[in-house]
Amino acid sequence: MLLEYGAESRLIEQLASRLGRALGCTSIEISLIPSAIVLTTLIGESSVTTTRRAHEQPINMSIVHQIVSICILAEQNPRDIVLIERKIENIHANHYPKWLVIPAIGLSCAAFSHLHGADWAGFWITFLASAVGMAVRMELSSRKYSLLIVFAFTAFICTLVASLSLYHGLSDTANIVLSSSVLLLVPGFPYINAMLDAFKGYISMGWGRWAQATLLTLMTSLGIMLAIGLLGVKGW
Amino acid sequence: MVIIELLLGALWAAIPAVGFGMIFNVPRAALPFCALGGALTYGVREVLLYQHLSIELSTFIAATTIGIIGVFWSRRYVMPRPVYTVPSIIPMIPGKYAYEMMISLVSMNTDGVTNALLSSFIENGLHAVSILFAIAFGLVLPSMYYTKRQQPII
Repeated sequence: MLLEYGAESRLIEQLASRLGRALGCTSIEISLIPSAIVLTTLIGESSVTTTRRAHEQPINMSIVHQIVSICILAEQNPRDIVLIERKIENIHANHYPKWLVIPAIGLSCAAFSHLHGADWAGFWITFLASAVGMAVRMELSSRKYSLLIVFAFTAFICTLVASLSLYHGLSDTANIVLSSSVLLLVPGFPYINAMLDAFKGYISMGWGRWAQATLLTLMTSLGIMLAIGLLGVKGW
Repeated sequence: MVIIELLLGALWAAIPAVGFGMIFNVPRAALPFCALGGALTYGVREVLLYQHLSIELSTFIAATTIGIIGVFWSRRYVMPRPVYTVPSIIPMIPGKYAYEMMISLVSMNTDGVTNALLSSFIENGLHAVSILFAIAFGLVLPSMYYTKRQQPII
């Protein structure tokens, strides 16, 4: 039951206890800390406790969705453990193809720059910068580097490409271009999850995720600062 | 004229919502809803800003709107709510403020502290933090209502 693909704590707890009840256990108690799950299952008079380590995984909402639908299926036909196990085996990551994601991210960051009022040259430079950044990020992630290093390096590359806009005054709105092209690194999901967890009474999970998100932001800004320092960009 | 501008802006805001939905590996069926949600939140926020409300308050109201809509969508299509809500609020993330805050921090380091830099640092930082908080609180509000009832949403 490694539900740690960026699901919300409350969702994890509810799902585990509902699934357990559907499979015929008396009750399920669960305790969460940012890096592990402790799960106690009570069946009749005997109880079983397991601890599972949760690994750092990229956020994948389609897996979360599939687990939710398995849980609902289990409630509809209770005590059918074979069916559930077969379904869990079948969970697969629904990855979008690379050639689709890279231009999509480029386009979204470019749309950001347009919304913030960049000119058309700035629009295309942002597109280029964030598309290159996304390619770098996927490449590094597939080589299993630490997430922190991936973020810092991607921010560095993004800022380098985006500072093309300063070259010969290619674009008049260079600082918007620079700020929009690194927006693909905003850790929105960890921040929102942290807030949601903390508000619902999972303080330690909330803090853990908040710290993780803050670290990611810090590494991103480190990458940007490195690039800016290297180029000696000044003037705002 | 203003309405056309608003619609165009909302259309532009729908693109990032879809793009970030792809990073988060949202199931394919949910992508159109992410686009709709992104456009909707941006539109609501722009309308409220046009009424001279502060940016924090209008962000909060927009986030609450998508939070409530997310509850209905998630019931109907059996999906966890963050699938819809988080990509939809991405267009409102205060990236620009956070960036300017950081830039002023860096230039304070290199050029020495001046009053203008310090005030720009504090101003942008406060904006960024308060907008982030407004987004998060707006999203939490609907589900806090439902935790009062013991029944799970989906």
